Amino acid sequence: MAIKISRSFVMRKLHQLTGIVPLGAFFFVHLFTNSKAMSGASVFNDAVADIHHIPYLLFVEIFGIFLPLLFHSVYGIFISAEMRSNTMNYGYGRNWFYLFQRITGVFLFFFILFHLLNLRFGAIPGLESYGNPVAGNADKAFAIVALEFQNPWIFILYVLGVTATAWHLAYGFFLFAVDWGILIGEKAQKMALYACVGLAFFLSAVGINAMVAFNKKCGLLPSALCEEAEKKGIAEPDGSRRF
Amino acid sequence: MNEANVEKKRLENPPQTVDFRISRREKLDAPQYTETFTVPYRRNLNVISALMEIRKNPVTKDGKQTTPPVWSMNCLEQVCGICTMVINGRVRQSCSALVDDLLLAGGGNTITLEPMSKFPNVRDLTVDRTQMFDHLKQTKVWIELDGTHDLGPGPRMSQEDVQERYAYSRCMTCGCCLEACPQYYDDNYIGPQAIAQVRYQNMHPSGKMTRDARLEGVMGDNGIQNCGNAQNCVQVCPMSIPLTRAIYETNREATIYGLFGWLRK
Repeated sequence: MAIKISRSFVMRKLHQLTGIVPLGAFFFVHLFTNSKAMSGASVFNDAVADIHHIPYLLFVEIFGIFLPLLFHSVYGIFISAEMRSNTMNYGYGRNWFYLFQRITGVFLFFFILFHLLNLRFGAIPGLESYGNPVAGNADKAFAIVALEFQNPWIFILYVLGVTATAWHLAYGFFLFAVDWGILIGEKAQKMALYACVGLAFFLSAVGINAMVAFNKKCGLLPSALCEEAEKKGIAEPDGSRRF
Repeated sequence: MNEANVEKKRLENPPQTVDFRISRREKLDAPQYTETFTVPYRRNLNVISALMEIRKNPVTKDGKQTTPPVWSMNCLEQVCGICTMVINGRVRQSCSALVDDLLLAGGGNTITLEPMSKFPNVRDLTVDRTQMFDHLKQTKVWIELDGTHDLGPGPRMSQEDVQERYAYSRCMTCGCCLEACPQYYDDNYIGPQAIAQVRYQNMHPSGKMTRDARLEGVMGDNGIQNCGNAQNCVQVCPMSIPLTRAIYETNREATIYGLFGWLRK
């Protein structure tokens, strides 16, 4: 039998897929790199330099990040516009989650646009990174971010951005599992929901801790935890590597 | 949800009268307005009996003579679904909506009656639900039988399947799930009702023979992918049908069919 699949079916499945791979996967990598700030400027700057040395970097960036991001965010705005929210009359938990997924999505559309212009392209006037983005300036990366995060408004904006991303992604995992027919039963969904809430808290905590680390060694954790790298001689305090 | 075992709650100090704020409309596309009617309270009053009381003498609270409000009703025991309307902001059947419960839940002594908002409002509290039947046609929720000759006994089903299918079979096409769905408006989505019927037929051993045609029916531009997982449908369903289960089971079939179906060509 000839298979007829509508355009919107394919688009929705692509939207769900791009949210997990590559965008979700990228968020984990991003938090991992950010967390290197806990060990100080040299470790973080080395991590930025490592990213600069990824082979085919331009293509990885365009096809692995920018295009999926553009598709996911623009199509996500269209999906959000379909919403006729009715949480006032039907205030069930899942109905609020449904609304919140769309609110965080629209907020992230603007936040990620700002974040890219700010730290990737250095195009936001008045900020430390103006004309001086983290991308391409590995030697100054830590200092640029540290100075920006000393501005409380920028810091608060980024805390909101990280938290919203963590929630949107964690609940996104749940939605993906449900929409692709992986997670079906009521009980299984309940367990998965708890796991997703836990994941959202975990990712938020890791993200915020990395932000704090730019101006306080090891972030919110005791700094003794982050001195291991230097003790073992993996990284030297002055910044150069010993291999 | 199922309230069979819930103890009946009664108003301790019932009011003398109850006000009904009713949405009115002359005919399709005419402007909507509201009128308030006062009905003397009595024990075990439900919304339909109050509407019948108003119909006897359609005079508004302000003393204005008006036309009797129009609504639909049939079985009066919450199995036909025709009397569905939005009562105090929530969709439900008016025959099983007891005034005592509504006043206890809402406080005050006014009850608001509106027609369902997701269907063409024909008059007052009556709506046209043709689109729900169109969705059933689109998804081919029937079993094809060729001829009148004896086909022998039907295939056997496991007891579990029988029970799950029985739950889906109770759908009365009332429209509560669509009214409460934040993704459904302007007939843009086939909705939980039709998807549950697809699941109902696809679980049947004879129905499985035309499974692919039904799956294509739910994968159109108004298809199952428009579900936003707000799960209001399963909360408001008066027949406690596992609507979300039907959606997710069908999601699995549709996703596999979409991903791998073309590889079998």
